[in-house]
Amino acid sequence: MNILIPHNWLKDYIKTSASAQDISRFLSLHAFSVEKTTEVPRLASLSRDENDYIFEIEITPNRGDALSVLGIARELRAILPMQGIAADWVAKANDKQSSVQEKYDLKVEIKDKSLVPRFSAVILEDIQIKDSPDFMKQRLEAVGTRALNNVIDITNYLMFDKGQPMHAFDYDKILGAKMLVRESKKGEKLITLDGMERTLPEGVIVIEDGESRLIDLCGIMGAKNSEVDENTKRVLLFVQVYDPVKIRRSSMALGHRTEAALRFEKGIDFDGVVPALWEAVALMEKYADAKVVSKLIDILNVKYEPKKVAVDYGKINRVAGVEINKETVDKILQDLGFVFDGGSVIVPSWRYDDIDLAEDLAEEVVRLYGYDKLPDKLLAGEIPQQVADPVFKLEDSARSYLKHQGFFECYTNSATNQNLAGENAIEIANPLTEDFAFLKTSLLPQLLAVLEKNQGYSDKVKIFELASVYLAKKGDLPEQPMRLGLAVRGAGYPEFKGEIEGLLEELGVSIDFDIKEFGDTILAAELDFKKISHSPRRTKTYAPISSFNSIKEDLTFIMPENRDIRYHEISEAIMSADKRIKKLQFKDIYQNFLTLSIEYLDAAKQISSEQTQEIRKKIFEQLEKKLGVKLKV
Amino acid sequence: MDLKELLSQFKNDLKNISSLENLEAVRLSYAGKKGALAKMLKDIANLSAEEKKTLGKKINEAKQEIQEKIAEAQGGLAGKKSALPMDKFLKTLPGKKPVTGHLHIISQAISEIVEIFKPLGFTRARYPEIDWEYFAFEALNIPSTHPARDEWETFFIDAPVDKKFGRQVITPHTSNGQVREMLKGNLPIRMLNISRCGRRQEDASHLQTFFQFEGLAIDKGVSITHLKGTLEYFVKNFFGPKRKIRLRPYDFRFTEPSFEVDINCDLCGGAGCKFCKGGWVELGGAGMVHPNVLKAGGIDPNVYTGFAFGWGIERVYMMKGGIKIDDIRHLVNNDLRFLEQF
Repeated sequence: MNILIPHNWLKDYIKTSASAQDISRFLSLHAFSVEKTTEVPRLASLSRDENDYIFEIEITPNRGDALSVLGIARELRAILPMQGIAADWVAKANDKQSSVQEKYDLKVEIKDKSLVPRFSAVILEDIQIKDSPDFMKQRLEAVGTRALNNVIDITNYLMFDKGQPMHAFDYDKILGAKMLVRESKKGEKLITLDGMERTLPEGVIVIEDGESRLIDLCGIMGAKNSEVDENTKRVLLFVQVYDPVKIRRSSMALGHRTEAALRFEKGIDFDGVVPALWEAVALMEKYADAKVVSKLIDILNVKYEPKKVAVDYGKINRVAGVEINKETVDKILQDLGFVFDGGSVIVPSWRYDDIDLAEDLAEEVVRLYGYDKLPDKLLAGEIPQQVADPVFKLEDSARSYLKHQGFFECYTNSATNQNLAGENAIEIANPLTEDFAFLKTSLLPQLLAVLEKNQGYSDKVKIFELASVYLAKKGDLPEQPMRLGLAVRGAGYPEFKGEIEGLLEELGVSIDFDIKEFGDTILAAELDFKKISHSPRRTKTYAPISSFNSIKEDLTFIMPENRDIRYHEISEAIMSADKRIKKLQFKDIYQNFLTLSIEYLDAAKQISSEQTQEIRKKIFEQLEKKLGVKLKV
Repeated sequence: MDLKELLSQFKNDLKNISSLENLEAVRLSYAGKKGALAKMLKDIANLSAEEKKTLGKKINEAKQEIQEKIAEAQGGLAGKKSALPMDKFLKTLPGKKPVTGHLHIISQAISEIVEIFKPLGFTRARYPEIDWEYFAFEALNIPSTHPARDEWETFFIDAPVDKKFGRQVITPHTSNGQVREMLKGNLPIRMLNISRCGRRQEDASHLQTFFQFEGLAIDKGVSITHLKGTLEYFVKNFFGPKRKIRLRPYDFRFTEPSFEVDINCDLCGGAGCKFCKGGWVELGGAGMVHPNVLKAGGIDPNVYTGFAFGWGIERVYMMKGGIKIDDIRHLVNNDLRFLEQF
């Protein structure tokens, strides 16, 4: 989450010679990324001559404590001295509690204590609703919030200043002076301050008054029916800590992400609640003539115990990889607000949710010490045990082979629509689009769609994809085997088949595959890559090269028209005819004339043409007897 | 004419030859079937056996010499054959290239990345894309209340919930492989996990499915200095020797400390421009493996430490100078006019 922090406002807390550029740079390197530094004209009521700067800072989700001017100032107080720049804390804690006159009260009932870990409020009267002072209006504007009136502005101002969201109710609109904090029922409605009617899902934290009206969408936005307006005389100033998860889920579900919700959901400084409340009271006394007319209502629903973490200097150095001396470690932790107690530190209340372990302290120390001061090294140490799975090499070989055969490699999505995903496809429970709702069970439908889409590219297109498919498995994760999908348009059957055979030969394996035909022009095949990587690979062994020459010849045979014959029957018949037949290759087929190339070799002596004639005769006999295949004369 | 004369005449003729065609004519007139030497051989047929033998030998020697000289001259003339304008033109035509296809840019990026980490001892691995919530979140110290666990970030599979491991998800990052790798029990670890992930997000810079590469190193004495060195090495090899990195503090649940890694901007060289932030561009996240994650992997965090980083393949590749892809969705559109450019 990004926040805006005016440079000027920081000066309420720290006095330093660091320039805006220094602040921006050092914050980025040691705490939070300053995304932008904008120069703006000075605020007339505040600075004398120089222009002001507004920092836009990205605060990481674990650091709700830094979503305020105070939070950023606290970081700078620790960061700047490490850079040799003094940063003196000039803010004074407001410990003055106003004199209390107990004229009014509020009955509070909390259904479930976990909803509101801390509930604080105070009632003020004699309120004069008017414009806020200029400095407040200008600062609110600088952080992107419109000034409304003094009471509302003070609550907003303190949210940006201290990180504590607060709300002001018109006390007289809380009917029965009674509040019931509970979770919403599904379908309940209320109109928020922005005038929108909102229908609530179940489980949103709300407040009901004595007349059963919903008067607050807690932690997100107040309700219209209890708002402060120009006639307001009495105000209930309301400062809370809510269950952060509930606030986030509610605010997301309602699609209403307010500044307050974004802060509540990241956690609130438990110890900061009451000081922030008194600060607001002080401002209301000063700028709205308010008087406190109730006791402080402060309900603690959880017991807050300070947290201690042991400081492990050895661990800090091990994480850093260099030695950071004890003095530096101690200074950094102290500057960040940690209080030493023996060998441990007490975690500051604003970092309560974020710091638990020695590693957490190490991070604090090393980031302030400076990652840029650490040297760059490569790993040394023992030899790792892992051996690469050979499948990766096979995949690379397959890719490279196919590329050189003219195939384009495609990557399609893991999920697709129901039609393309195939039968029994696994469904995504929360898809973003219909085209990404079912996990594919085959690579081919999407590859065929790619061919379809690229119709105009060329008459001949060859594509492939090497990816997982997802096959449901009862009671377990789906099987996610790698497949190799190939699809071609405009290539002949023998060509496509030959490319796959060539690929398998290149990979050194022999597995069966099916070629599917789609219409007249499209062919496709899907190979199980796991089968490829698990089948025995041909090992390359040396066979002595014969010192005799072979004899090669082409023979053309006539295939009988009415007999169902497979090529392997022919090749087996020929190869079994004589052991001097060294090689047989399919050469051509024209009508029913099949031409084969045959190579004869005798390993023991030079083969003669008389001998080949004798072998040939055996071939003819075999073919004719077994298959009715004759030589073409 | 005697042999000597014949030879010197031959040598003379040879000097004036300017093409292979001429040379062939010369060869025929001397050493051809009806050439001068053949005629000489015929002429000596009537001589005595003794004379035939000596003369025949000389004639054969002369023939051999002539043939050698011809062969020599042939070599010299080989380049001069195409004296004709059309012949010259033919050689300026483009060659006939074999038809080759194209590897997808993602595969090319993966190869490049694997090759860079290989010499550092990182072994490639691949972990399930559809995995249990446990490995994608819990084991990584991401409790069920964390925003990343909400439905609007992660894809869930419509399948029964496992008592121990929770729901099935499309893993939103390759970090699901961390604890799976640790549980194999082989230490030290230097893993490069490259796998597919998914997130409920799609626009010009996000795909619903994408690839990440995740480095994980666990050993005794691994510190931030090793993470810095490894990433610096990667960046210099992948982006170029002038590039360098810096670490900034960040927050990830499964690392402590956590970093955002920046690379110096190649457009302004680090001076700062409108494409970068003060001379730096965000590259991705990294950190030291959180002790809770080591524990989930059965490793004692008091003995071992480790670092991890997980970055998007597509994103990192598109940050390379010169690629200039304006919309990441091109990568899964499979338009051949796009694919043929890589």
